[in-house]
Order: sequence, then structure tokens, then C-alpha cells
Amino acid sequence: MDDYLTDEQTVFDVEDVNKIIKDTLETVIGENSYKHSRVNQWSTNVVEQCLLRLSKLGKPYKYIVNCFIMQKNGAGQQTATSCFWDNSSDGSCMVKWEKDSMYVQVSVFGLAI
Amino acid sequence: MEEYSSGDDGNFNSDEISILVKECIEGVIGGTDYNQNKINQWTASIVEHSLTHLVKLGRPFKYIVNCSVMQKSGAGLHTANSCYWDTTTDGSCTVRWENRTMYCVVSVFAVAM
Repeated sequence: MDDYLTDEQTVFDVEDVNKIIKDTLETVIGENSYKHSRVNQWSTNVVEQCLLRLSKLGKPYKYIVNCFIMQKNGAGQQTATSCFWDNSSDGSCMVKWEKDSMYVQVSVFGLAI
Repeated sequence: MEEYSSGDDGNFNSDEISILVKECIEGVIGGTDYNQNKINQWTASIVEHSLTHLVKLGRPFKYIVNCSVMQKSGAGLHTANSCYWDTTTDGSCTVRWENRTMYCVVSVFAVAM
């Protein structure tokens, strides 16, 4: 049993990450409406705070956090992602958040070290 | 000089990846206009072709390729990325492309195995 690794260490926990992203979005953007002058600051804060909280989980993972904010004005938009990694240990979590004036999408990718 | 390592094998070469991705984008949507019916297929093709070419390079990296296509209609769009990894070996590259009717942003993240 020397090789046994606990599940908590090497499995990407989608629920935990989901919760972290949602909390961060509520804290940074909350009930605000889309404002061009503040969007830059919001997207930066969202990715930085998510990353900080993810690193505090203390798991042996590298993380990539992506935040996408788009004003609602009828434009069409499509996103696609593809990954080349180890399916047993790596994972991702995507949170879509819709408000009256904007769409926000945050993706977190975790890759086991 | 024994510590000198060539840019090719252990490190992420941003310029080369940028050229590769631009060619993939041109190959899929070069010369087309934004089309709601085809956009799903286009974004999927861009990420798949890019990933296939990256894997063919045969380097010891895990990859994440993310593609966003947005119709040009005056809406504001903001994207931010933040990464928690080994800055000596890992890297990313973002390619922005546009034509008369749409914007395309492709991000490639490479994490050393």
C-alpha cells in the first residue's frame, strides 16, 4: 500500500472550485451593472482572488483561471476549449453567471503536478 | 555554459505557437462572415486543429486551448487570465484575430509534465 495516494490529494474537486468561483464573483461584482471603466478591475480581481483561494487549498496542482465578461447587447458569442492532459487527475470547472447587463464566465483548469 | 538549455524542448516557445494558432484560425474562419449556424462548428474546429498541431510538436507539455469568437456589434468584452504554475517551464500565448464581422481570441496554455 506504499503507492496509495489519498483521493483528496490527486483528484480535482469540482464542487469546491465551483463554490470558490461563485463566492468570488459575488464578492467582486455582486449586484453591479456593466461599466466599461470598472470591467478591467473586476476581471483582474476575479482571477486573482480565485487563484489565491485555490492555492490555499494546498493541493499538488497548477491552476489556470480565465474570466470572460461581456456586455449584453445582442452580439452572438461562442467559446470552445479543448485540453490535452491526464484525465484521471486533471479537471476543469466552468461557472456561467448572467446578470441584467452582462454575461460573466469563469473557467478554472487544474493540472496535477 | 552547462546550464544553458535550448528554447526548444524544455521551455515554451511563444512565437512558434502564435504562428501555428494564426494558421489554424485562418484555415477555419479566414474569409468568412459571422454566421450563427456555423459558429459552434468553427470554434470546435479551431480548438481541435490547434491542439492536434500542438501535440504533433511532440513536446513534454499538457495543453489547454481556449477559443472565443464574438460578433462585432459594439458590445464591450473583457477577458483576464491568471496562472499558478512553474514560470521557468510553463507558458501561455494569446492570439487575437479579427475581420469585418467578428473577433476571435485564442489562448494556449502549456504546462510542463
